[in-house]
Amino acid sequence: MSKAKTQQPAVIHKVIMVGSGGVGKSALTLQFMYEEFVEDYEPTKADSYRKKVVLDGEEVQIDILDTAGQEDYAAIRDNYFRSGEGFLCVFSITEQESFQATSEFREQILRVKNDDNIPFLLVGNKADLEEKRQVTAEEAQHRAQQWNVPYVETSAKTNANVDKVFYDLMREIRSRKMDASKQNNGKKIKKKDSKRKKCTIL
Amino acid sequence: MGPPPVVTGVSPRDGPPGTRIIIRGENLGNDPKDLIGLKICGVDTLMTAEWKSSKKIIARTGPGKGKGDIIVITRSGGVGSCTVGFRGFFVQIGPLQDSAVWIDETQTVLANLGRGRPSSPMISKEDEDPLGISNEGNRAKSEEEMLEHFPDASGNLTLENFSPAWYLLENHQQASFDDLKMGLSYMKRRSSQQSEGPITFAKANLSGILDCLDSLTEMCEKFAKDDIQRECINSYAVSLMQAKSCADGLFQEVLGRKDKADATRNALGVLQRFKFLFYLPLNIERNIQKEDYNLVINEYIRAKSLFEDSPIQVFQKVYKEVESQVMKFKEMLQEKLRQPNSLEEQKKLIKYLMSLDIDNDPGWGCLLSQEKWLTKLFMDCKDSNTQEIQEEVPIAPPRHKASGGSLGLSLQAESRRELQEEAPVPPPRHKTAVVSSGLSLSGELVKVTSKSSDQMAGQKFKMPQKVVFVEELTDIMGRHFPDFWKLGQAYFSGSLHKEGGDKSYKPDQNKHAQFKQMVCEILRLFSNLLRAAFLPNSLENLSEKERKMYGQWPENKRDVPGAWLPHCVRYVRSCASSLCRLDLPSDCQACVQELALDMRTNCMFTLLKQAIADVRSLHIKETWIVELDDEFGGRTQLPALFGNIVNETVQHLHEVVVQNKTGETEIFSQRPVQIEATKLCTELLQGFAPCLEQLAFSVDKPNTTSTQSADLTSGSSELVMESSEDHLPSKDKKLIIMLSNCNHTKEHLIPLLVENLNKHGYVEMNKVLRSAQETYEKLDKKLFDSYVEEKSNPIIGSMEPNMYRGRFDWANYKRVNGVRNYLKEVLMGMIEIHAEVFSISPLFVSRVMTKIVDAVAEEMSRLVQCVTKFGENGAIQARLELLALQDAVALYRSAATRKSFKEALDCLTVLTQDNKKTLEDQLNKFKMQFKFQLMCFHSDTGEISESKT
Ligand SMILES: Nc1nc2c(ncn2[C@@H]2O[C@H](COP(=O)(O)OP(=O)(O)O)[C@@H](O)[C@H]2O)c(=O)[nH]1
Ligand SMILES: [Mg+2]
Repeated sequence: MSKAKTQQPAVIHKVIMVGSGGVGKSALTLQFMYEEFVEDYEPTKADSYRKKVVLDGEEVQIDILDTAGQEDYAAIRDNYFRSGEGFLCVFSITEQESFQATSEFREQILRVKNDDNIPFLLVGNKADLEEKRQVTAEEAQHRAQQWNVPYVETSAKTNANVDKVFYDLMREIRSRKMDASKQNNGKKIKKKDSKRKKCTIL
Repeated sequence: MGPPPVVTGVSPRDGPPGTRIIIRGENLGNDPKDLIGLKICGVDTLMTAEWKSSKKIIARTGPGKGKGDIIVITRSGGVGSCTVGFRGFFVQIGPLQDSAVWIDETQTVLANLGRGRPSSPMISKEDEDPLGISNEGNRAKSEEEMLEHFPDASGNLTLENFSPAWYLLENHQQASFDDLKMGLSYMKRRSSQQSEGPITFAKANLSGILDCLDSLTEMCEKFAKDDIQRECINSYAVSLMQAKSCADGLFQEVLGRKDKADATRNALGVLQRFKFLFYLPLNIERNIQKEDYNLVINEYIRAKSLFEDSPIQVFQKVYKEVESQVMKFKEMLQEKLRQPNSLEEQKKLIKYLMSLDIDNDPGWGCLLSQEKWLTKLFMDCKDSNTQEIQEEVPIAPPRHKASGGSLGLSLQAESRRELQEEAPVPPPRHKTAVVSSGLSLSGELVKVTSKSSDQMAGQKFKMPQKVVFVEELTDIMGRHFPDFWKLGQAYFSGSLHKEGGDKSYKPDQNKHAQFKQMVCEILRLFSNLLRAAFLPNSLENLSEKERKMYGQWPENKRDVPGAWLPHCVRYVRSCASSLCRLDLPSDCQACVQELALDMRTNCMFTLLKQAIADVRSLHIKETWIVELDDEFGGRTQLPALFGNIVNETVQHLHEVVVQNKTGETEIFSQRPVQIEATKLCTELLQGFAPCLEQLAFSVDKPNTTSTQSADLTSGSSELVMESSEDHLPSKDKKLIIMLSNCNHTKEHLIPLLVENLNKHGYVEMNKVLRSAQETYEKLDKKLFDSYVEEKSNPIIGSMEPNMYRGRFDWANYKRVNGVRNYLKEVLMGMIEIHAEVFSISPLFVSRVMTKIVDAVAEEMSRLVQCVTKFGENGAIQARLELLALQDAVALYRSAATRKSFKEALDCLTVLTQDNKKTLEDQLNKFKMQFKFQLMCFHSDTGEISESKT
């Protein structure tokens, strides 16, 4: 058993799926992980996936944390986000509200990570449901440009662009890690935001 | 051996013991049997494992704690590995919280005991944050510091003096406001989850609980086996019991408090839930005041369903109050229903009552009271009006005549205003009676003939009481009866009950007949009331008592004047036709239709009689102004007035009476009506004749100066006679004028009038035409004869004396010297007649002249034949005169004239040649002399054209 473990590649890219409930985060994850598509919707709490992939010839592990979209769990999301290295911010092109919600997720991530250049992809899922589209590619693209992130449309159902979003994100993470190791040789990125507002009851 | 299993996914990745997780990966077994082991965090959970596929297993976690591996073991692949793990954590199980797994309580309990605090029923673990915000950052303030700020408070969640502010400062001083808000919603959710109850908990943790039970039995068995003396197990049992009682003791207080709190909460909840009942009496009162009856009823029904059978005393008490209030409410509604109201309002009230479960039939009750009410309205209306008329000062009869023209209308308007003051209901404003000028003419007649107009002007005008009555009565009918009927319809169609609830009333056939009866009664009452006022004779078959009931209108007062009748008829008809639209059963509304028809007939007869009277008194309208008309000769305006009266009466009648509305009976379809109408028409058309006759033979003051011989030379085509009584035309002139009028009436007017009548539906007009023409024919003859007699008498009477003037002797006549003067006078007289007739009516000239000439010729002939002896010259003279006369009137010679001349000439001796010459000369001389005078006899047409030029 220990032998098996040592065989695992040392590099792990930690990806976090964020987005409103029901947009297809779990569906994308399961499609990527197991090439299966689940029709029925079961709210997620926090699921963990990890597997070995070959990224540009290099064996790495991808660790996916599939989170709850429901705001119920918003309070505990901070903790999750802290461990993430890259984010797939998913919305459903058939649901305008989910698109609106992406802003909040992005804000929360930037706040927790305190890093404007955190690897981040804006993902418009359910692209197979073109006839029910509520969010145009243009407006999504526009938002992505504002954030300076890529925008990709996917379908967990047809497997369109699913691998692409995960691999693109991993590449971003990899290049970020390389930058970071060059710049901060020894120095650690300050994780805590010293400017965080204090509770000012007193 | 195949490849080993690898777990690469877990959902969820953490949770308390017993969490259902989905394990995904590869080579997780070929089938359920292939799966021979599953360890989660080191705990064997194979029992809970549910093999789905080689990629998916569903299992429940055991009591493993902390992060651990998920290891799948298969027969085919052996012991596997994992890339993801599960983090088990212990949910803080409080003393009052259910748990499906074993909890090591020593720590918490002991710790709590050690600190001398009661353990919290809410928070199971000290270090779990109730807000779900992870504890980050160190405590900023020490307990001492906090105590300074909150001297009486505590940061301990379990204590009574817990202060949230303290807690937040102590634990989350650095949390952002957003985090706190999220924490709050997290806490809310948690507490709502907790309240879900033990069953859901047991369901979710079934296997865990079963496990526990299994373990216990197993333990017990093992003990039983080991413990041969059975002492041990007993002592365990004793210890357990002790532990239990100890635990009970420990928790008694807590449990007691919890029970009390629950009870209080329950009570509050009950109060909250049922507060509406306690407010209900107040609300009902308020809503009744606001007239929001629906709300009252809904609330009452709700309260009823909830509390009617409630055994709880408080509820019973309040509910009783509500009941009594609703009883009052019902009574109020019923009272309201008894009162007159709009149909919609009534329907609503009935529905309210139905939904209030009234046992008696409110709809029917309403119908009954409506009937009573309507009947009363009718009777009251009658009573007030008959009373009014009794009290009326016996003044001059209502001035219907004055109602013609604008004066009448304005007065009428005034009286309406007066009416409105006493009756809140202004009668519907139909077209006010249009009174034709024919009638206004008769109005003037009244002025002249009967009452002095002064009296009339002084009298306050008042609409005849009966007219007021008919307006009011039809108004009541039109206003309220449709509602009554519609309510009945709604009642029987069941639409009143539809919303009334479960009871489905079937319209009772009995009641249906009864309702119909009621409708008939009302309509009969209505029509009989009106009959009593307008057609009292039609009620003759009824008993005295009944007639009394329908109202007795004083007979002595003049009846409703004709001019008002159309007005009344209009009201009755519009009322009848609106009833017609209601689709009443035909036998019910028959009496009203009959009434309408009778009113119409009555109105028609009255108006026709009125017209007859008007026509008969036309003679006083004569002005003797003759207007010439080339076609029909001269006439006065009287025939035109006559025509106007007839035509306007016909027109007026047509508009108000004859013309049929849909559903009405054709007025002329009744034979008696036909006969009467024809009779009246005949009278109407004949009525003018007496008028003419009276005028023609009227003897006025003997002042006939103005009737002096018509001035031929004036050449005027219009003879202007002053209308003043002093300047009436002479008797013979009157005769010829009336003759002309009569002729015009007969030849021209009557056919036109008959045609008009015919056009308007009057029947048997041929008969009328014939009898009318007969009448005028007779009059014509009479007038003509009188005129001719009147005119010829003086001429003929003077012929003989004049002929023998100057001791003239036929036998010894010396010299024939032209036509003698007497004959010239005769001719002049005839010319004068000619002129008079011509001036009135050229048409008559020939007719009159023929007659005159005839008479003159006869007299001449008689005179000549009476001569005993003619001398020679005498014979010539006689011949000359005869021939001159014959020649002059040649145009008007009739057979009789010719005969007279011949007989006269035959008496004379035959002339010699000489004498013949003399005769011829003399004759020519006369013709020359009288050329101009005699011109008028030559040709009427020539004369006319000459007079025209
Ligand atoms: N048609 C279509 N349905 C999808 C797609 N992705 C997810 N769904 C469905 O959307 C629902 C929610 O998906 P899920 O992955 O559970 O959403 P999550 O709450 O974001 O994890 C499920 O019923 C999926 O079957 C997609 O790309 N196309
Ligand atoms: Mg999900």
